[in-house]
Amino acid sequence: MADKKGRILCVDDEPNILRSLTWLLQKEFEVVTASSGQDGLALVRQQDFDVVISDQRMPGMMGSEFLREVRKLSPRSMRMMLTGYSDLQAMLRSVNDSEVFRFISKPWKINELPAVVAEAVYIARHHPVASAEPDALDAEAGKAPSWTSPESILLIDDEATLAEHLTQELGSALKVVHAKSIGEAVAAFSDNDIGIVLSDTRVANVDTTAMLRMLKQEHPEIVTVVYTAGTDAGEVVNLINQGQIFRFIPKPVKPAILGLAITAAERKRQQMRMTPGLAKRYAVEAVDEVAKAAFSENIRQVAQPSAGTDIPLPFLQRISGGFRRLFGT
Amino acid sequence: MNQGSVVFAGNGERIASNVGRFKLLPFFAVASLAMFLLVAGALWYFEREQGVFFRDVQQEQIGFFKQVQEEFAARQDSAARRDLLSIHEAGNVNLTRLFANALWERDFAPFVAKAAQLSIDACRAIADVKDEKDGKMKPPAEKKACFSEVGKKIAAFPEFAALNAKVFDTMKKSTVFKIKVFDLRGITVYSSEHAQMGEDKSTNAGWKVAAIDGKPASELTFRDKFSAFEGMVEKRDLISSYLPVLAPGTEQIVGVFEIYSDVTPFLNQIKQTSADIKKAAADNQGKVEAAATENQDKVDGAATQTLTIVMGLLGLLFGALFAIVWRAAAIIARQEKDRDRAQQQLAQSEKMASLGQMVAGVAHQLNTPLAFSSNNIQMAMMALDSYALPLQVAGTFARVVQNCDGDKVLINVLEARARIAGIDANDLDIKIPQAMLQDTLQGIDQMRELVENLRDFTRLDRSKTSRFNLNKSLQNVIYIAKSVIPTEIEVITDFGQLPEIDCNVSQLNQVFLNLINNASHAISGPGTITVRTSVEGERIRVDVSDTGSGIPAEHLSHIWDTYYTTKPAGEGTGLGLPIARTIVSEHGGEISVQTKTGEDSGTTFTVYLPIAA
Repeated sequence: MADKKGRILCVDDEPNILRSLTWLLQKEFEVVTASSGQDGLALVRQQDFDVVISDQRMPGMMGSEFLREVRKLSPRSMRMMLTGYSDLQAMLRSVNDSEVFRFISKPWKINELPAVVAEAVYIARHHPVASAEPDALDAEAGKAPSWTSPESILLIDDEATLAEHLTQELGSALKVVHAKSIGEAVAAFSDNDIGIVLSDTRVANVDTTAMLRMLKQEHPEIVTVVYTAGTDAGEVVNLINQGQIFRFIPKPVKPAILGLAITAAERKRQQMRMTPGLAKRYAVEAVDEVAKAAFSENIRQVAQPSAGTDIPLPFLQRISGGFRRLFGT
Repeated sequence: MNQGSVVFAGNGERIASNVGRFKLLPFFAVASLAMFLLVAGALWYFEREQGVFFRDVQQEQIGFFKQVQEEFAARQDSAARRDLLSIHEAGNVNLTRLFANALWERDFAPFVAKAAQLSIDACRAIADVKDEKDGKMKPPAEKKACFSEVGKKIAAFPEFAALNAKVFDTMKKSTVFKIKVFDLRGITVYSSEHAQMGEDKSTNAGWKVAAIDGKPASELTFRDKFSAFEGMVEKRDLISSYLPVLAPGTEQIVGVFEIYSDVTPFLNQIKQTSADIKKAAADNQGKVEAAATENQDKVDGAATQTLTIVMGLLGLLFGALFAIVWRAAAIIARQEKDRDRAQQQLAQSEKMASLGQMVAGVAHQLNTPLAFSSNNIQMAMMALDSYALPLQVAGTFARVVQNCDGDKVLINVLEARARIAGIDANDLDIKIPQAMLQDTLQGIDQMRELVENLRDFTRLDRSKTSRFNLNKSLQNVIYIAKSVIPTEIEVITDFGQLPEIDCNVSQLNQVFLNLINNASHAISGPGTITVRTSVEGERIRVDVSDTGSGIPAEHLSHIWDTYYTTKPAGEGTGLGLPIARTIVSEHGGEISVQTKTGEDSGTTFTVYLPIAA
């Protein structure tokens, strides 16, 4: 078994699924299975796994719950979630609590799953997590971490209330940059060294998710927190798989939850700076052509009104400059 | 869309059941017609009463008028008679004066004085006797004869003839029919009817008034026969006046005259006048009565006219009201229809919502067998691909062996090694692809089970109502529900032995799915839903209990209200429980709720269904 690429733990209450996954993955990986979250946790405590794959819908312990525990017990294991149907709450939980690497929708594609697992194994083996992470996780709600220079946080929102709140609450520790449109956001990137992005999924009636995904593609070291009014499950899956969103916050945004998320994001950003390889753990899938087209459309939408008289040319140049710097196109 | 409407067909209409709906138009028509007839009857009665009253008043007035006229006529008659009497009395007094002045001093005074010499005591001594006929004391015949003898003696006086002639001469051609002279004793000392001379009139009331009081006294009498100066006359109205004779120049009464004067023509005139008046009165009465009749007719006519107009107006009013109510009823009916339609649409959307939830759950449920079956088949196919070469080798080998005549064949190992380099003997375990296909078969079984449950749940291919065991139905519902509700929630069943009942299974499935879904919504995090069935008397009891948060008191009284929901707009229609209740009551059953909030909270919905439906 020494020649196998990695150790995988699969957890599902349906034995047929476990068997099927084993058959699929056993050629490349050493596959261990458990039929419940509790059994899975017992195995995680005893053995070391590169990747843990769990179903979400299980009696007793939910998948997100199980993966959260796995994250605590074995931070270096990459976590993947099997999901068969769209329970948004469960998905948001798994994003925020267990920081899953990928969502795998059922039925999975037979040639893609082994590749994704292989990527996860590679990351787990070659980009070990900072040793401080478990402690930091436990301290998430507590003391603010100490860092050398204040982080810049970019807030993309067309309303001012949240910006005011952020400046008031965190203005001393953070540099808050407020962008009211995608155009302004892009411009802000060229002017500041943005470490954290806090964004609504819709800003000034433009979908930001495509931009966020492309941003992460080029700059995995930027930590993104997204809040949303009504997200569909597919959007969450895409934002995770292609955008590696750090936190999801449901609207209306509660200040306490936002504070926690920002603090956690700051810590994550700090860890990434201290451990250069860490960002690799947040590698994303290649953004598909559809999303790229959507983003181009967004940019076009943004550029169109600004082609009018009220926005001066230097601003447009700044946008295109920032755009080039950010996305390399 | 179509599917959904078929699945739960026929609930919407029944929510807004038309049974027992208030029928405005007939109710109004009957009630108001009765009221209008009552009012019309009352009006007719009062009009009639008024007519009767008017007639009575008229009769009374006619009677009064008649009485007044009669009284007036009687008074006029008696006044005329009184006037006649007093006029004649006054005339007689004057006549007596004249007569006395002319005759008394020279002729009558000595004559009366001479007559007074005759004694009448013997005659007066004769006692009066009681009359047989009227019982009054009357002088007997011999007394009258005695006084008559006195009269004869007076008549025998020598100066009588001259006096008598003088009296007759004076009184001829006058209205005086008779003249009598009495002395102060009451004896008739002269009478123009000679036979009466000597009569005693001392007891006569008229004489007494004249002789003692010195006043004249008159009375009106009627005589069939009367001897007047001109001889006998018949049927005459007479006034007889007793008049005191005073000695000339003194107030001394010296005698009494009695004068009969004839008033027949005057009295006839008076009678004629009275008759005229009576006739006029009768004519007036007749006119009054005619007028009264005419008035009565007019009043009756006016009353009839008024009544007709009022009836007509009442009819018109009824017609107008009827038209309004007719219109209103039409509008109400239309509004009700609109409301029913809106309600049906909402009921439909409620069905669609629960259907959508169910479909999502079922889709997820399908996903798991689909996932591993698809994976397994692809891998089995890959395995089959990898068997192609070994099978080809085995085939070649088999052919070589079969075609070989001897016991040995020669194999070019060098050539063969290159050809079978791709065969990994470890991969040739056929058990794995077999297991894969075996699992896939299981997956297909799972999918079939799901489809069967779905079909049992909707019962599209069955008759609407059938005899059914509710436990089976509940098992089916729980299977479907489990695919939707969170896995943290455990569904416990505790089924008792149930008899089959006649029911609309698809509708009851909807009810129980709704109750189980509601129960799962009440639970946040782990919890249990218990579905318990039992027989209680003549009914089946189904309890759906949850360990959720319970229903707060402010919502509890509203849970059966249509459109009442605590879920955000767009998520709940507020029709689930009202529809459930409608369905259960259509099955002759009832549904109730028991809930507890706070510590050890939970809610139990209990459905009772009759065994003999």
